[in-house]
Amino acid sequence: MEPVEQQVHSELVHSDSTAKDESSNPSTASAAVAPARPERRSKARTWDTPPAPVPPPHLDDYKSIVGEAEIDELKFLARELKGKKVKMVNSTAVGGGVAEMLNQLVPLLRELEVQTHWDVITGGNDFFEVTKAFHNALQGSDYDLTQHARDIFLMHNEQNRERIEFSEDFIVIHDPQPAALIRAERRQSQRWVWRCHIDLSSPNPSVWGFLRPFIERYDAAIFSSQSFARQLPIPQYLFYPCIDPLSEKNKDVEESFIQQVCDEFGIDRSRPIVTQVSRFDRAKDPVGVVQAFKQARKYVDCQLVLAGGGASDDPEGAAVLAEVKEAVGDDPDIIILDLPPWCALQINALQRASTIVVQKSIREGFGLTVTEALWKGKPTIAGAVGGIPNQIIHKLTGALVHSVDGCAYQIRYLLTHPDFARQLGQNGHEHVKENFLMSTNVRRWLLLLRILQAGGAK
Amino acid sequence: MTTATATVPAPTRSPVKPFYFNTSAHLLRITPQKATTLSEFLDALRECPEGSIFQHTFRTLQEHHFIREGFSNDFAHWAVSACNEPSLAEGLASVDVREFTSVAQIRERFIQIVESFLQRTPAAANRAARETFYFCSSESVVIPTSFIARSMQDFAEGLRRVTVHCIHHHFIEARLRLKLMSNDFSQWLYEDMGLTDAARQLNRIDIYTVTLEDVRNQIVRIVERALT
Repeated sequence: MEPVEQQVHSELVHSDSTAKDESSNPSTASAAVAPARPERRSKARTWDTPPAPVPPPHLDDYKSIVGEAEIDELKFLARELKGKKVKMVNSTAVGGGVAEMLNQLVPLLRELEVQTHWDVITGGNDFFEVTKAFHNALQGSDYDLTQHARDIFLMHNEQNRERIEFSEDFIVIHDPQPAALIRAERRQSQRWVWRCHIDLSSPNPSVWGFLRPFIERYDAAIFSSQSFARQLPIPQYLFYPCIDPLSEKNKDVEESFIQQVCDEFGIDRSRPIVTQVSRFDRAKDPVGVVQAFKQARKYVDCQLVLAGGGASDDPEGAAVLAEVKEAVGDDPDIIILDLPPWCALQINALQRASTIVVQKSIREGFGLTVTEALWKGKPTIAGAVGGIPNQIIHKLTGALVHSVDGCAYQIRYLLTHPDFARQLGQNGHEHVKENFLMSTNVRRWLLLLRILQAGGAK
Repeated sequence: MTTATATVPAPTRSPVKPFYFNTSAHLLRITPQKATTLSEFLDALRECPEGSIFQHTFRTLQEHHFIREGFSNDFAHWAVSACNEPSLAEGLASVDVREFTSVAQIRERFIQIVESFLQRTPAAANRAARETFYFCSSESVVIPTSFIARSMQDFAEGLRRVTVHCIHHHFIEARLRLKLMSNDFSQWLYEDMGLTDAARQLNRIDIYTVTLEDVRNQIVRIVERALT
């Protein structure tokens, strides 16, 4: 539970910003970071406190979403793996997409009687400083790889190798931090898989050159997009990231809750709502979204909601938020929301309230906010970068754009062609159902394990 | 070839063999081939494993089974969206996988289309595409389902309840296994139930202008008509 002090602080960040804007220029009130709040409320707002953790869903819970036959297929696929042991290893138990995914995947595999264990490597600050630098370097940042950094990386991998037992049939190592664990002695029949969640399309050559010999010892590697992969002598598989349709972020919510959230944020549901959900980061081009919105609104009435976070604890986020507010100016139709990280349910409601969702990224990983919007059947406009083109097939499951002008045009077009927009939304929903749900992820894991068991890889 | 007697009415007729509904699950593998120009695309088409041709034609239809129009195969989509070559895209999109009983034949057809286009339009060969085409291939595992048809009623019920992946497995992929211009459902209706007309009608369903769910519904309707 978030301490009360911190909750209050989080609100004050919004309110202070609002107050400053209002005092300097009364006309900016409607472009505030959050709607004005009464001094004393009788009832807590929906985003005031973090919700209690939700237990992971069971396999049968997905039947209502993907159908009973689909779940039966998973059970058939798992039959030949019954009793097999799998170990997943990553670098963090909480926070981040990988831990979130493992928290859901591991119980589901266990339910299918694939004995799956999850270990987290340990390391000092020195290790995690090195791996953070490796992480950035592998995604293209400049980095001077020193012998000291190599030694720290290898030493901590060696310590974890001695600490963790590797007796399972399948060992799955997530991301670069524990990649050198492959040096462990292995049984002939044991299979090692490297699951890379990051973009390796343009890695720093020295860091990749250091890690590559370890990766080549694995039996298979998995990437999140074709474009993220490297040329390797081992089989490489494509596992798209996924969303959980039963999570707070994606589950169905009551219409009354959607209305309540919109009321709290001062969003008028009688007019079209264009929304971008993403942290205040230049890679997400929030200023470009404001510009595109302003262009489009010359032709069609609409409001813009920019819902994000990260401005209160990240200096760069705060700077980006300031740029966004400057771009917004005194526009009464733009609502900026800097939300705390536990607001999954509110984000869910905002996405569902939206007429169109935008994700105008200029750099992107896979873009799970796009997946979330598509799952909710929303016509979605997104930058053609990273993993987004895997999700948005232009004019079929959404609209891909390459510029502010393109984004503005698509907003206008979709708002004035509701039947076409609805069809895009429907297709997008089906696309996610087929390819980007947790149940599909379970299917991919079962398939890979069966292929590895049959000696199919390497 | 064994055929069921046609004198017994279809609803009460017993098949020579039951129909076992199976399905196939596929895992995407990233191959080394990629293309940033049409010239590279042609080279990759020649070199890629058969699994890649299967993936970007048969499998992509399954992955995008919910799209009613405007999507035929990944090659055609890339030709128009990344290369801005609509006439090439039309040619590639016109390749109907049901007219082939082997992946090798489909590959040859695509190569012919691209070669012919580049002969007519040589300037397009080395023009940079907006996005790279990454060739993937597919590794498949066939899995049984719990549905077995020992009568036409069972068959209709199975068709209604199986996944669309199962429909794709028996109705679209089947020709690569059978090496026939047909599908598992038609073969069973013809060989094991003696329902020649229904078997023929199934083969006339257009898979490119409807969703796979629509295909299922059309199959069910034909089977239900044969039951009455």
